[in-house]
Amino acid sequence: MSGFKTPYPDYDVLEKRDSPSWNEQTREAVRQRLEDVPPRRFLSEEQWTLLEAIVARLVPQPDREEPVPIVPWIDEMLHKNETPGYRYADMPPMREAWQRGLDAIAAEARNRDGRSFEQLPPDEQDALLTDIQRNRVDKQIWGDLPAGGFFLHHLLKQTVGIYYSHPDAWSEIGYGGPASPRGYARLGPDERDPWEAREVDVA
Amino acid sequence: MFQSRQPEPSHRPLVPVAIATVAAAAGIGWLLQRAWKPKGDGNHRAAQALGAGAAILCVSVALDSAIEHYRGEFKDKAMFVGPTMALLGLGAATYVAFRPERANERLPKIALFTVGATGLAGLGFHTYNILKRPGELDALNLFYGAPMGAPAALTLAGLYGVIAGEMLSGRSYVKTRLPKHTAGLIAFSLMGTIAEAGLLHFRGSFQDPAMYLPVTIPPLAAIGIGAAALTPRATVVAEPLLKATALLGIAGPMFHAYGIHRNMGGWKNWSQMILQGPPLPAPPAFLGIAAAGLGILPLLKEEQK
Repeated sequence: MSGFKTPYPDYDVLEKRDSPSWNEQTREAVRQRLEDVPPRRFLSEEQWTLLEAIVARLVPQPDREEPVPIVPWIDEMLHKNETPGYRYADMPPMREAWQRGLDAIAAEARNRDGRSFEQLPPDEQDALLTDIQRNRVDKQIWGDLPAGGFFLHHLLKQTVGIYYSHPDAWSEIGYGGPASPRGYARLGPDERDPWEAREVDVA
Repeated sequence: MFQSRQPEPSHRPLVPVAIATVAAAAGIGWLLQRAWKPKGDGNHRAAQALGAGAAILCVSVALDSAIEHYRGEFKDKAMFVGPTMALLGLGAATYVAFRPERANERLPKIALFTVGATGLAGLGFHTYNILKRPGELDALNLFYGAPMGAPAALTLAGLYGVIAGEMLSGRSYVKTRLPKHTAGLIAFSLMGTIAEAGLLHFRGSFQDPAMYLPVTIPPLAAIGIGAAALTPRATVVAEPLLKATALLGIAGPMFHAYGIHRNMGGWKNWSQMILQGPPLPAPPAFLGIAAAGLGILPLLKEEQK
């Protein structure tokens, strides 16, 4: 672990909720993100628990009482088939890529030493994910699905993208959330508007 | 003002806004004219008008520089100087406007001279700020760097105040050169303010037709009072044009208030828009200069007789 400490320990972006920074539309969008966490509808129960275990390695949240939910939003995206509007040339359509990719990771783990991915200790989970990222996988299991491509373009990008859509992650990095309607007036380097997070020295 | 915005669905909403704004400004202008009770002879009246003009310029500079330097977080301690000197100038010029017979006293003259000199120094600082940016003297830095015109307005206020004192000095040139030179200075002042407004309205791509007003009416007024400096007959033309410019100086903040309303978040988003929207305190500079010009006109006319 990197031992990352946020330089914005006292900052909570949700304190902006009732300020002029946000309007009704912004408040509603953020409320949905916080309260309307979607149920499981697309992934199988096995795929869901596997994905939870993978996501916990990609974005570990040991110090959070309530981790930012990530898997429900991936499931929601797959359920609604909300693709980015394009498909990678060497990969099948989004839903199929996720189904095959997750099943391949489960099979890859079982095939190596008979244990499921969830049963592995964290460092072995990391080692397996690193192998997948670097395409060091069993061709019999993966077929024509590029392991590294699935890991980077689907698994990692979605996980990180969803994590940083959550207000808790915004507070952690001092981000102000949607600049709607109030944007920023002081745009130069080392300039700060009064409604921005204040950075403190935590070292 | 400088972000491209959604175009108006039609120009129809602009027409009532423009009419209401100009009507309100005309009302205020009429009230100001009624309240204006100059005392004494032509020289006293001119001194009083110059003092009033300087005071209005100082109000404009004080508020504008306070807001803009607050935006700049007073990063340089020297940024406190502009608003402070504008307040000093406001005090001295108001004194001159209400007690024109004391315009030639040492204290207000020294104060206003200092204010004017500070404006020159500020002009130097702002020019340096522009030139030290990458790209030096290019359009982008003129648009977004420290404005050149703002400290210059402080210099003009100081000059008006000092001239107001000179008007009562009884020196021989008060009857000959001074009114003409002052009229020339006022034409020059107008040109400078037009350049500033023109630059920033160009930056705002003249997206509201009313933004053309400060680059049409004041230039005519500048030509008018410039001509009046050369031939007294031109005062007849200069007077209505200066009055129209004064009207524009009153209407300006109202148009700018409408501009803020039209920006993202409107007035509810005032804490950003007061900094980033069209500047509310800038347009009255036209009122200040026009008031000084209107005060000089009778002296130019007298010469005719």
